[in-house]
Amino acid sequence: MKLRYLMIFFLLMAASPYAALATSYDIKNMTPEIEKALSGRQARYAQLNLFKSTGCLGENNLGLVEVLDNPSVCQPPALAENRDRMVIYRAIADQNNLGSEGLAQVQNVFGEVQRERASSGDPVQLPSGEWIKK
Amino acid sequence: MKIQRFCLLLILALTCAGCTVKAVGDPERPITINANVVVDIRGLKNTATNIEDMVAKGA
Repeated sequence: MKLRYLMIFFLLMAASPYAALATSYDIKNMTPEIEKALSGRQARYAQLNLFKSTGCLGENNLGLVEVLDNPSVCQPPALAENRDRMVIYRAIADQNNLGSEGLAQVQNVFGEVQRERASSGDPVQLPSGEWIKK
Repeated sequence: MKIQRFCLLLILALTCAGCTVKAVGDPERPITINANVVVDIRGLKNTATNIEDMVAKGA
């Protein structure tokens, strides 16, 4: 019986490095374009949150903001934000050699993170395409 | 006894999984391998969370 526990222990020890390892996908080369995209996003962060709370903007399932109302006011910051986000997404996909499907996967994961971080009442798009208020 | 044998085989398999596989071939006739890139979604999610934290904190 003791031997069985010992075997299970060694099995777990052998398997743990494989289970614990999560690949890190970093921005390895911080180009001026990426720096500009990040600082642009930081600068409009509060404004976007305000527009999301009024229902003017929502987070879609591709990791981008989408204009849902009042386009004359909300479209310009949404376009700028999406342009900056795509710079960051492309950098992650390219610099980590994620292949042809990489960009789509990066966008999906950022979309998921944005959904999780959204405040209560903000419009978010589910993976199915359905829009809900969080 | 059977369980012990199974565990030993499993440990051996896990150990071998980390070994290097070398291919031998003709250098005059290079082969093409179409590899599928497997993305670790958990790692990607960590990256996304870190970047969004940075954006929010820097605002």
